[in-house]
Amino acid sequence: MAANVTPGLTPFLKSLKATPVESSIEHFISLLKRRQIRNSRPCAIATTQLLLRVVAEFKGRDVNKLLQRIRHVGQRLTAAQPREMAVGNIVRRVLGLIREVAEDDDADTSMSDAGFNSPSPANDGPHHDSLKRPALSSSISTFSPLRHGATLPAEPTGLHHSESSAGTESTEPHHRPNLFTSHTSYAPMHGSLLNIFQHGEFPGSSASTPPGYHSPTGKATPLMSQSFANLADSGPKKEKDLKAEVVEGIRELLDELDQVDDQIAAYALDHIHSNEIILTHTASTTVQKFLLTAARKRKFTVVHAEAYPNDSDDTHATVLDGRKTAGEADADADERFKPLTAAGITVILIPDSAVFAIMSRVNKVILATHTVLANGGLVAAAGARTIAKAAKMHQTPVVVVSGVYKLSPVYPFDVEELIEYGDAGKVADYDDGDFVDKVDVVNPLYDYVPADLVDLYITNLGGHAPSYLYRIVADHYRVEDINL
Amino acid sequence: MHIPSTEPPDPPNPKPTTTHTNGASANPPATAPPETPQLSGAELKKRAKAEKAAKRAAEKAAKPSAPAQQPQQKDGRQKSKESKAPAVQQVNGEAGRGAGAQQQHHKRTGSVNAASLAQRPALGATKRRPSQGGPVKEVEKKKVESKQREVALFGHLYGQPRRHSIEGAAKEVHPAVLALGLQMSSYVVCGSNARCVAMLLAFKSVIESYTTPPGTSLARHLTSHHLSPQIDYLRSCRPLSISMGNAIRWLKDLIVKIDPSVPENEAKSDLTSSIDTFIRERITAADVMIAEIASSKIVDGDVVLTYAKSSIVEKTLRQAQKQGKRFRVVVVDSKPLFEGRQLARSLAAAGFTVQYSLITAAAHAVKDATKVFVGAHAMMSNGRLYSRVGTAVVAMLAHERDLPVIVCCESVKFTERVALDSIVNNEVAPSEELLSEGKVLPGGGLGREKDMSKWREKDNLQLLNIMFDVTPAEYIKMVVTEHGCLPPSSVPVVHRIFSETV
Repeated sequence: MAANVTPGLTPFLKSLKATPVESSIEHFISLLKRRQIRNSRPCAIATTQLLLRVVAEFKGRDVNKLLQRIRHVGQRLTAAQPREMAVGNIVRRVLGLIREVAEDDDADTSMSDAGFNSPSPANDGPHHDSLKRPALSSSISTFSPLRHGATLPAEPTGLHHSESSAGTESTEPHHRPNLFTSHTSYAPMHGSLLNIFQHGEFPGSSASTPPGYHSPTGKATPLMSQSFANLADSGPKKEKDLKAEVVEGIRELLDELDQVDDQIAAYALDHIHSNEIILTHTASTTVQKFLLTAARKRKFTVVHAEAYPNDSDDTHATVLDGRKTAGEADADADERFKPLTAAGITVILIPDSAVFAIMSRVNKVILATHTVLANGGLVAAAGARTIAKAAKMHQTPVVVVSGVYKLSPVYPFDVEELIEYGDAGKVADYDDGDFVDKVDVVNPLYDYVPADLVDLYITNLGGHAPSYLYRIVADHYRVEDINL
Repeated sequence: MHIPSTEPPDPPNPKPTTTHTNGASANPPATAPPETPQLSGAELKKRAKAEKAAKRAAEKAAKPSAPAQQPQQKDGRQKSKESKAPAVQQVNGEAGRGAGAQQQHHKRTGSVNAASLAQRPALGATKRRPSQGGPVKEVEKKKVESKQREVALFGHLYGQPRRHSIEGAAKEVHPAVLALGLQMSSYVVCGSNARCVAMLLAFKSVIESYTTPPGTSLARHLTSHHLSPQIDYLRSCRPLSISMGNAIRWLKDLIVKIDPSVPENEAKSDLTSSIDTFIRERITAADVMIAEIASSKIVDGDVVLTYAKSSIVEKTLRQAQKQGKRFRVVVVDSKPLFEGRQLARSLAAAGFTVQYSLITAAAHAVKDATKVFVGAHAMMSNGRLYSRVGTAVVAMLAHERDLPVIVCCESVKFTERVALDSIVNNEVAPSEELLSEGKVLPGGGLGREKDMSKWREKDNLQLLNIMFDVTPAEYIKMVVTEHGCLPPSSVPVVHRIFSETV
């Protein structure tokens, strides 16, 4: 249908290969601004693909330049549409990925340089890399909370310094002095390595001076030369490796985005019992797949609130045909799935006003989300707050299903700024000029649901209490990337 | 008997009751096949009930006088069902045994199978009409189909489909009532008060044009033989509101008390003037009082939130405006009726600052609000508010933010009934209305026929369009009535006092 003509995710992805990076970025920015790519998933996919291109096109050898470049792109993207937090999340993930790769390299080089305390004498240069790499990809998507004992992820000082020295915008606020003071509490291996690194390169430089205050040409110069020397040491193959690894990491991220719904759906049977009455809201691929997976084994009833006026068309399409309306670029094949009714599940469509009335018979509420915030609250389609509250009043558990990519390190100090307002014409027709003229018509698209109304989060990593989410955030994003 | 009835009607004498159960017995097995996999307790119960009814009917059918041809037809139908779902064979068999009896009953009352109005004529007053004799099989099929679309939890609330035409109405039904019924079923006359007043006015003309047949007295004949068909007709158009039930009860009481020695003309003029007084005292004057009291609760700078449309809330707001208070109004609305839109429109035209949003945005709307005023369909005796679906949502959100929720409600809407949830008692409106998106008038026939057919084709898909919900008493800070302000817990007391005196 019109999908080929309408700008959206699919045409953008198609155009990505053919157009130069810079114009792709601009294209994506305008798509974001015009809301032609919207909702977390399309945004996340588009961002990942775009960043993949950016990394692939990146022509430099310096990790920090690459970080800088990604960060810069990320800033532009998030500025274009700050409320699509998936964009920022993906940028942060990619930044974290690059850091990870760079750290591994640094650790490797410093290890081989220092020549002691190495776990085995066999690891040397690129060979050691190839041994260690496989662990990386999985650690990106499924960080173990045990990996970083401290709240702040490990961060090698050398990298940090060289980054701030090489950076063109050295006034970024994220360089916190306390990062340095806390590094002594790191895991033994890291600590010893870092100590070696630090003591070898600049003795005592970090004790009192925050790194951000280093002048680009001052003390850090030896470090830069050192890092370049490192790169030179390991030769061009190593540099290529780094980029290739980052690209591979981003591909992993894409895979994660691709599989996230299925991964979440795999938990369905742990949460849905037979003959349950489940209430859900709006059209969400994640929720539909979750329910469909459960429907293969169990019979239950789904009460579907339609989220009129913003998402009711999508909801109807989901209920009827198992896909969202083709108005957006979601028309691609993998968005399509069987409607629940075809799986033998009774679906009851209700208007949003009937939520309270029917809640007393509902066993479980399963909500989709737009963004999950670090405090365990979430931003979801308008009406979610009402549903969650009604569920709370009826002691009905509220389960939120969300991919980890929707998890944002943003803390909602001001809830209002997270809420986007939509077309008032959907609430009251503009044809009705008289009415629209005199009456203030509001149409918020999102609701903020506080953490205490949520009982459980199910992500692709499993089920979590809302109070645990900060930990997952800490695992997935680097502290220095939180403010882009 | 007729009192408050949002339920499927209970025909007032025993004969139709049996036909009613028979009608039910014919249906549940029909419902069963598609739903066999997930039998809820309610369904099981329903089935058991149907079985029982069928048995009873079979016992009654001592003389198998039913025409041979018809049962055959029926059996054929059931056989096809049996092959569809062996699990319910037994039930079907039972129903089959009862079939003869059903036929008999159908014949006697004439219209159980007729499309819309079914057992309405009842009362033995109606004869069969050729128009109602229609193709039984087709109608039944339709019924089966529509049963699949019924939400099991609310199965008990699906009565007859609403009547949208005067076809097949009892011949006694007065033209004014005929018109009113159609207006009600298409929401032209909507709202508890409006419907009550309109009904009473229609009854006035019914009474005016009534002449007592020879050999009986007005007090004996009017209620049971002349008013009842009118009421039944109205009920077939849309279930009666609590206020209508209360008014009807009052009117019947009044008629019964008429001294047979009073000449008919005098009695009739007495009745009509009493109706006028009732409307004036219980509704018009009560509204003025309530508006007066409630508007005193509004102060400068308030942001008053209201849900949907209540005539008393509107009067209250206007009254407060007249008193020179400066405040804002937030109207929260919902599909499918969009009553709030009318309210917002008229308030805006009257110079109010009005903000309008839908129920999905209710959580945002309550943020600005300082007070919540809602109207009522009825106040239950356990202090709960029975009102337009969505009111509970708004009250809950307001309660969460510690906003006072003030209910404006005339005492004519008080009922001695109690309610705990919104499921036992409610009114299920046609689900088509949900799809009309408010652009086409519900019942206007246009609808989205194409869409609807698409919806109908889908198995397992149901649309639920309930009209009311029950707001817990703890969300309600105050009930403003013409007798003053009460906590919700005082509703039963006030109801008792005034139903005794009136």
